[in-house]
Amino acid sequence: MDYKTLTEDLVKLCLKKGADAAEVYLEINRQLSIELRNQEIETVEEASSHGVGIRVLTKNRMAFASCNDFQEKSLEETITRAITMSRFTTADENNVLPQEKGFSEVEGLYDPELNNVSIDKKIALAKEAERIALSFPQVTKSAGASYGESEQEIFLANSNGLSKNFKESGCSFGVYVVAEKGEEKSTGGEYCSRRFFADLKEPKEVAQKAAQDAVGLLDAQMVKTQQAAVIFDPDVARAILGGILGAVNGERVLQGASFLKDKLNQKIASDLITIIDDGLLPKGLASRPFDGEGVPTQKRAIVEKGILKNFMYNTIVAKRAGVKSTGNASRGGFTSLPGIGPHNFYLAAGSHSPEEIIKATKKGLLVKGVTGYGINPVNGHFSGGASGYWIENGRIAFPVKGLTIAGVGLEMLMSIDMVGNDLDLNRGFTAPTFRIPLLQIGGE
Amino acid sequence: MSWMDEFIPRRKFLELSFKGGIALAATPALLSQLLSCRGKEISSLKPTVDPQLLNQTIRLALENGGDFSEVYLENRISRQIVMEESKFKSAVFGISQGAGVRVIAGNKTGYAYTEEINKTNLKRAAEIAATIAQGTSPATPVDISETSRKSFITVKIPLQEVADEKRIEIMKRANQAGLDYDPRIKMVSISYYDEIRGRTIANSEGLLVSDELPLLFFIVQTLAVGDKNRHMGRERLSRHSGFEMFDEVSPEEVARRAARESIAMLEAEDCPAGKMDVVIQNGWGGVLVHEAVGHPLEADNIAKKIGAFTGKLGQKVAADIFTMVDDGTLPNRRGTTNFDDEGTQMKRNVLIRNGVLEKYMSDILSAKQLKMERTGNGRRQSFRHLPIPRMTNTFIDKGQDKPEDILASTKKGLYVQSLSGGSVNPITGIFNFTCREAYLIENGRKTKPVKGATLIGSCMEIIQNTDAIGDDLDFGPGICGKGGQSAEVSAGQPTVRIRGINVGGTRA
Repeated sequence: MDYKTLTEDLVKLCLKKGADAAEVYLEINRQLSIELRNQEIETVEEASSHGVGIRVLTKNRMAFASCNDFQEKSLEETITRAITMSRFTTADENNVLPQEKGFSEVEGLYDPELNNVSIDKKIALAKEAERIALSFPQVTKSAGASYGESEQEIFLANSNGLSKNFKESGCSFGVYVVAEKGEEKSTGGEYCSRRFFADLKEPKEVAQKAAQDAVGLLDAQMVKTQQAAVIFDPDVARAILGGILGAVNGERVLQGASFLKDKLNQKIASDLITIIDDGLLPKGLASRPFDGEGVPTQKRAIVEKGILKNFMYNTIVAKRAGVKSTGNASRGGFTSLPGIGPHNFYLAAGSHSPEEIIKATKKGLLVKGVTGYGINPVNGHFSGGASGYWIENGRIAFPVKGLTIAGVGLEMLMSIDMVGNDLDLNRGFTAPTFRIPLLQIGGE
Repeated sequence: MSWMDEFIPRRKFLELSFKGGIALAATPALLSQLLSCRGKEISSLKPTVDPQLLNQTIRLALENGGDFSEVYLENRISRQIVMEESKFKSAVFGISQGAGVRVIAGNKTGYAYTEEINKTNLKRAAEIAATIAQGTSPATPVDISETSRKSFITVKIPLQEVADEKRIEIMKRANQAGLDYDPRIKMVSISYYDEIRGRTIANSEGLLVSDELPLLFFIVQTLAVGDKNRHMGRERLSRHSGFEMFDEVSPEEVARRAARESIAMLEAEDCPAGKMDVVIQNGWGGVLVHEAVGHPLEADNIAKKIGAFTGKLGQKVAADIFTMVDDGTLPNRRGTTNFDDEGTQMKRNVLIRNGVLEKYMSDILSAKQLKMERTGNGRRQSFRHLPIPRMTNTFIDKGQDKPEDILASTKKGLYVQSLSGGSVNPITGIFNFTCREAYLIENGRKTKPVKGATLIGSCMEIIQNTDAIGDDLDFGPGICGKGGQSAEVSAGQPTVRIRGINVGGTRA
């Protein structure tokens, strides 16, 4: 089936059926997922699927319908449904579709070899990672190892004459193990995701990290409730970045539901903090040539040396705010309207090695695991559960768990005084190690 | 020959299905049915397929070997309407259909699905799912026959008969009630969702069941802005029922509850950090035991011998007063269905009775592995997913204490009126929760509201340290995520007190 022609034809059909403007988003994908445990395959899931999402505007009113059945009659009915639904939404002059016809050049989104690599080789990665992780002393059980891959092609057309498509692939493997000492249990997991199969890490590296995280936190202790330095490991980047991401969503800003809403071009973090949203990163897991509604992606600084420089927009929200779309329309698949979301979103690297940061800390907590929602994007409050290592006199003293950490988001960002050089851009959402010199820690 | 050598038909399947189905549809395409009754919604979403084709697929799936095979067919029609800032921003109509074929051979599971349900695609899915069974001895499938199941869902006003204008009117009423509550309510955000899901399940044990489930999910969020604080309040209403849900709880009431929370929390002060006694109000607070105890009691991790409650069956694990139940038969609740997504009849399962662990929640695979009964907890998000053990309506059963006495007898601590949600590591049993609305308890009284704090601890600790359970059992609706799949559940509890939970506050 020629999907490019199909999407374009469906746009025309929408107009014929009474829409003033229309957009068709079509997705084709293939997935494979394998789980094994104790060297035996437990599940194999494989499928290919497809679907189409149709957005229509009638008299500036917006509606959407989706289906996963490509028979002609079904597609026609889906369009009728979308147009019918648009009868009762509210007319808004900001409801427009993008005009941008260009693409951003992004290298390395699709691995043509992925499908040709033998399945034995793929399974071997997960098997080997599990085997090595289980060989570590005190690692007692496997909670499973896995390999997964997917290929996807996106076709997008709208009534402004825009018609684009691109192909992407992804693959990953990982392992999750349990370490035990007497009654005490601790878990550790690690995975590696890449666009290209050949770029996947050696199983040994993944296994080592999983095993060390599990074993390292055995015999964890409690500390007293106190204020001390808190060092955030790259594994817990989301705890800080997640709330910032929610707060720079252009729509939340317009609605007043963001703790950063009045802070554009103001200082919100220490000079050491630069936060980037990059849709162009070669081989980036969240890179793509255009966003969820076809606008070319960009690389932009959200925060530059502590100053809040940019919010994120899709086309409709940008029009309402009187700015241009930033190429941040995000799509949760073919069944939903585009929202606003990031590409490769990260805290830029600093100059210190993680060891230097630990060494410079007289007393504090190196956090390896944070639970909870992170910074609340509406009011900026932060509270979470924490586990990791206690630091005394610049050295790791003992593992800790069952602690809490809490603070005020803006104060925390402003006070960051050391940022590490250990940024790993192979994760879509990431940060190097960084330190907050004083934070409330809850314990005994 | 390893099963991997059989990979060729799998690859072929993909290539072929990329090109779209060519064979005659075995079930009329859902949309074509819609089309044929234009102006009116389709009367039944139950997927219908020739029983002979189901028998053939089940048999083919066991041709390589294996103990069990199954075909799961699903149709779904959904509507979502969003109102924000007093505008109807978007309306989304969704339609999906598909079928999954599963084969179990020992501890191995093979799964494949197709979106166009026809003879050719079902055959290919069966062949792919069967590759894992290579080299095992096959079970003999039993011919399917219609199996009866009790129903726990009643519908007075079918969603199919509700005009879109009615849905719109419900949302307008909630919006107005939210804005009228207090001038400090600056924005109301309303999400209305309904769906009808039709299921047909047939398996090699001879089972054939079919039903359709209506679901309503109504969420109101209100943003309050004060001098020093802003807070987004939230209230959710959800049932497997018809539109009569809104006659029982009005949309205005839902909005006012959200607004009350947002206004109350404008005065929130810093929360103290450290261990303290926590009283949790009845209702959605039950999400604490859903996470902290419910997930670790799901049988998949028990069968793998890694779950926190492994080997503890029949042992005393909780305080004497603590009884916890998972009950998928509570009429029309969000976690209720007639049978689970493997066709097992829903039932009431007492998991912990008076402190003693009695039961794990199982699906077909884990029940087989543990040689235990099937509890009706095999659920899946859609035909694209494998069933796994999941909760339904999970709650702490009611006790004898009066809620006001529980509060009055707590000298100092934290009163949690509602929780946002949380998570647990089912292996270690370490959990965390975020408070949505909480107050300090001083001398047996609820005093100042405090900012959203995190509660953390271990599952074993909290069920042992629960020392008061009220007589006011209530429930709240939620979304539960596990293994990349979401499921609609409800969680419940009476007012309870737990001694010594670690609270993540911003001051000493």
